Amino acid sequence: MSNFDKRVKEELHVRTEKHIQKMKGEIWNELEQELFTNNKGESNKLKKRKKGKAIVWLIASAALLLMLSLQSETGQALKSEIKDLFIPEKEVIQNIEGNDEKIEVQLNEGSDSEYVIYVDEERYKLTKGEESDMISSIIPPPENFPAVTMEIKQVVDEKPENLVKKIEAELKKEYPELRAIEEVTEPVTGYLLHGADGHEPESNIVHTYVISNGKEGSFVIMQKYFLLAAEGHGARFHRMLETFEIVK
Amino acid sequence: MFQSKWIKQIQAGDQEAFRQFYGAYSEYAIRTASAITQNREMAKDAVQETFIRVYRNIGKYNPTLPFNSWFYRILTNECLRILKKNSMYSKFEHPNLENEPSNEDKPIPQSSDLYEEIQELDDAFRIPLILKYLKGFSEKEIAEILEMNQNTVKSRLFQGRKRLKNQLDSTEKEDETL
Repeated sequence: MSNFDKRVKEELHVRTEKHIQKMKGEIWNELEQELFTNNKGESNKLKKRKKGKAIVWLIASAALLLMLSLQSETGQALKSEIKDLFIPEKEVIQNIEGNDEKIEVQLNEGSDSEYVIYVDEERYKLTKGEESDMISSIIPPPENFPAVTMEIKQVVDEKPENLVKKIEAELKKEYPELRAIEEVTEPVTGYLLHGADGHEPESNIVHTYVISNGKEGSFVIMQKYFLLAAEGHGARFHRMLETFEIVK
Repeated sequence: MFQSKWIKQIQAGDQEAFRQFYGAYSEYAIRTASAITQNREMAKDAVQETFIRVYRNIGKYNPTLPFNSWFYRILTNECLRILKKNSMYSKFEHPNLENEPSNEDKPIPQSSDLYEEIQELDDAFRIPLILKYLKGFSEKEIAEILEMNQNTVKSRLFQGRKRLKNQLDSTEKEDETL
């Protein structure tokens, strides 16, 4: 074996050494769970789906109760206090760029108390606007890189299935390679539109969810960042959005 | 051979045999997946899915193909599937490995980090090199894993090494002039 071959071999071994033991343990635990738990033959994915359905059913029931209660005066009082049901601050572990990070997130309330979301206020701030709210990165992006934002907007009179087609048509003008509309259940349940305007580190990425507002309208959550930030800001926005809850 | 013993035992549903098999195969599976995906979570998913597929499909294993080649074919396919799924989040392009890679040399990276330079290579060269140098697979085995012609693998390895050497030489020359 030549010196060059030895160097390549050594480099690949050294650089893939990190976390092996920890990963071995983690993967084995998942495998045991998946293959050898009591529910043999039933995959975790299936269990997750069932759990998801149960959660959807619980949320639907809670929403129905909430709707009924909101129609009364007591309900009106309850409405403004719903956000009190959420703890104001919590610690979460996020996996960002392959590493687990423990971070503090703070409860934020959207315009007219219509939703709540936990925001990592060390890195982002939520600014309420008349038409939409904007979560933006506190740290400015590098020079010549686009801004990093997540805009949350409610469209009260248009259902997601119609609205997503209009947004798709608009985004296609800027992002010709926009992916086809996808139906998603994570981090929110609704439609996803994803596009990039190039393959350079600074290329613009748009990642938009169109979801029901629980009534006759929709919430449009439009994330914008750059390609290089996909595993950073993109992943953080995803985690943040997992905490998004409609409360009105 | 431990392998054929494990295969029979796993086929019979022996969990302890599967645990031993995992102990023997997981390290290099994790290393390979980490090198191909360059992402801890994606590597973890690829390895996990590979072992699940092996466990569930071991009855379909055809012994005319060496077991290692079968296992790493599943692993490599899982890595590529996961990379493709995450392609918009990643800097990688995912060509069909049988397609001719681009003849244009990519810009030489400024870093002198050999690992990064390997990762800068087109997948068509990068993946055969990873399989060769990490696990020590022969050209024949790489051809079986990637379902490619052995001569194509030979050529890809040659071209890949050549590109890597050129990149290294250029970077080192640049470093010397600094």
